[in-house]
Amino acid sequence: MNDFLIILIKTCVIYGCLIGAAALMTLAERKFSAWMQLRYGPNRVGPWGLLQPLADGVKFIFKEELCPDGANPWIFRLAPILSAVPAMLTVAVIPFAGDVNLFGVDCGNLSITDLDIGVLFLVAIGGLSVYGVILGGWASNSKYSLLGGLRASAQMISYELSLILIILCVVAMTGSLDLRAITEAQNTGNPLSWNVFSQPLAFVIFVIATFAETNRHPFDFAECEPELVAGFHTEYSSMKFALFFLGEYCAMIVMACLTTTLFLGGYSVPFWEDAPWFVELGSFCAKAGFFAFLFIWVRWTLPRFRFDQLMHLGWKVFLPLALANLLVTGAVISLA
Amino acid sequence: MVIVKRKTLTLAERLYLPEILRGLSITFRKMFQPKVTRQYPEEPLPTNEVTRGQPRLRELTEGHLACVSCGLCEAACPAYAITIDGQETDRFIEREPERFEIDMLRCILCGFCEEACPKEAIFMSTELELAGFTRESFKYGIDKLKRSTEELAPRMEYIKRINERW
Ligand code: SF4
Ligand code: SF4
Repeated sequence: MNDFLIILIKTCVIYGCLIGAAALMTLAERKFSAWMQLRYGPNRVGPWGLLQPLADGVKFIFKEELCPDGANPWIFRLAPILSAVPAMLTVAVIPFAGDVNLFGVDCGNLSITDLDIGVLFLVAIGGLSVYGVILGGWASNSKYSLLGGLRASAQMISYELSLILIILCVVAMTGSLDLRAITEAQNTGNPLSWNVFSQPLAFVIFVIATFAETNRHPFDFAECEPELVAGFHTEYSSMKFALFFLGEYCAMIVMACLTTTLFLGGYSVPFWEDAPWFVELGSFCAKAGFFAFLFIWVRWTLPRFRFDQLMHLGWKVFLPLALANLLVTGAVISLA
Repeated sequence: MVIVKRKTLTLAERLYLPEILRGLSITFRKMFQPKVTRQYPEEPLPTNEVTRGQPRLRELTEGHLACVSCGLCEAACPAYAITIDGQETDRFIEREPERFEIDMLRCILCGFCEEACPKEAIFMSTELELAGFTRESFKYGIDKLKRSTEELAPRMEYIKRINERW
């Protein structure tokens, strides 16, 4: 009973934090983009504009729900859910910190669950989110949405391949599919044992592939405003539209967490092997926060690729590189 | 036929990553530069005597308008924004407006009324803000239009200077 309660509390806290972080990230996106363009960004709602996501949420709720003529109403409604839920589910296996000891109660590790096939779970559930985009684009009965959905599915599938090959390199090095085991293997107190130093090429490919995987700039062909109005969510309004956004930002946060876990030693603190859990959590948040910032930073710096360039990069550059990287990793491991 | 010579790219440029990092460093530096946005309601727009804001009527010192209700501004107004009803008065100028109304929703701030006026009675002020809840509230009567001579003095000086040029 007590265990059940602890898990329930952990789940609520972690999901609350995830959605809160996604909301804050929409604000951060606007703030940082404004600063990069020498503007102030939202600063009217609440102190320093901090309540802006709340105002946005209220606005979304009061907007009219539209369903275009000829759209398939059930799939049209299912799509935003399918896009948001997988992105939120994947956070369940991310290890945020080690053993938590709160008010003398041992609460176990700070993650919802430590699946021994955590990586597999993450890839499988994360792969589902492409359905939200395709179905949304297809059910809308609009050419822009359809094109956006098609592009997004092609893009996400091509990049998922390199992404998974890169994850395989890390998994091969650790010999475990458990994200906590992968973190613990890097948690030696020496930052040089982080995977980013043993797998620099894999790290670069992984970071770029996450951009494509989450449909972010410079690979945001699912939306691509100048060509496709708004891509797959052109016809969506109100909370359905907000759900797509929530899904996108949750996916970004999960990807930032995953990059941290796989390559930057997760919650490990440099030069302090047995750090208390809150220091580990702080270290994790700092690293993941940097990658979340990177998503925003890159978006407001780079222009969009052309679609054929994107496919070229995915199939002719990243896939061979990732394969070669896996080959070399495997060879080194079996020789050593 | 024009043949455009493409610059051959170095390896670093073709790899693209160094260039991306350069771009990222630019945007990062921009984040700390001073902002250029004007925080409008708190930080009002700068105005001076050249600003062509909303037209206002000049009030003479004794509390009467300078206007003699000649109707020239009404005729000059391209937007038909001005309506004047004149009346007789015991003052030396003999005529004054009983009703002087400018429909601020019609006014295009062109300044023709100011140019047409023979009595230096109507001037473009520096007031720029216009907001209201009903259409009626934008019909400004004498009570809303009259401004003291001191307030309009810079504009009067400016107009005189401009007119001397011709
Ligand atoms: S500024 Fe132009 S439009 Fe406005 S009242 Fe004068 S003449 Fe008419
Ligand atoms: S032109 Fe001047 S004097 Fe004549 S009615 Fe207009 S404001 Fe009055």
